Amino acid sequence: MTPERFAGLADAYGGDVARWPAPERDAAAAFMTDAPARAAAILAEASALDAWLDAAPAPQASAAMVGAILAAAPRRPSLWRRWAFAAGAGAGLAAACAAGVLAGVQLGAAATVTKSDIVSAEGGGDAVLAVVSDEDFNLFLDEEAG
Amino acid sequence: MGESDEELLSQVARGDAAAARALVGRKLPRLLSLARRMLGDAAEAEDVAQEAFVRVWRQAPRWRPGAARFDTWLHRVALNLCYDRLRRRRELAVAEPPERVDEGPGPGRGLEAQDVGRRVDAALQALPDRQREALVLCHYQELGNLEAAAVMGVSVEALESLLSRGRRALRAVLADLREG
Repeated sequence: MTPERFAGLADAYGGDVARWPAPERDAAAAFMTDAPARAAAILAEASALDAWLDAAPAPQASAAMVGAILAAAPRRPSLWRRWAFAAGAGAGLAAACAAGVLAGVQLGAAATVTKSDIVSAEGGGDAVLAVVSDEDFNLFLDEEAG
Repeated sequence: MGESDEELLSQVARGDAAAARALVGRKLPRLLSLARRMLGDAAEAEDVAQEAFVRVWRQAPRWRPGAARFDTWLHRVALNLCYDRLRRRRELAVAEPPERVDEGPGPGRGLEAQDVGRRVDAALQALPDRQREALVLCHYQELGNLEAAAVMGVSVEALESLLSRGRRALRAVLADLREG
């Protein structure tokens, strides 16, 4: 390592060689062995600035700030909320079932009407038949045949 | 060594209060220090730290392990928040120039120990933002050169140049401390 590079690294990363980029440390150690006085002078200059930097006050987190940060953190739903959610989901499911049954009844009624319409329809049956189930269609054919 | 940052984040996403406490304990001091040194203002630094954590909480359920180091991401988030404030401050300063404060020790006035800290702090704040950012990341946050360069989005050579210029400027401004 050249003296310029050694000084450049101290200039950038400070007087503690342990904090220099790992791939440069072995060469830096060799330079310190080869030119101990020069290396020591460079490191002392850099270390003085490190010490000043460390004199700058370090902030402390207040309990109030920690509390405010934690209050905004995601929360697991409480037991009550989980129960309410489950109950809500259950009620929703029951409502959905009831709606399904009701829809089924109405659909059955609609199918009956459609079938009777088909039976009574003359000529325009093809369009209506497209929405009738196979079962209804067979029933219709049986009735037609009978 | 406890859980990794990523493990804590996934627990936080599931609403684990203990994991949130652990993550705050692990990250808040350094986050606060970063913001304090970038902004030179304790109250603004607290605001930045709180805002950064709001983003952490929001990000927790979406965090993809391996996409980026959480620490690198968190530094970038905090620095962006600091830069937003520095920009706003500059806009305000153009509108209303502040009165200049003499940061020097003054004739005949001895430099007390705590004054050194204040002098250094003021000198740091007087540096160009990118030089201060490089110094804060490498000296105070103790990031390696590769990670600091990644956070800043510059090459290692550019990082070293910013560090050298920053440190030289500080040494020049603080030269009188040597005699003190």
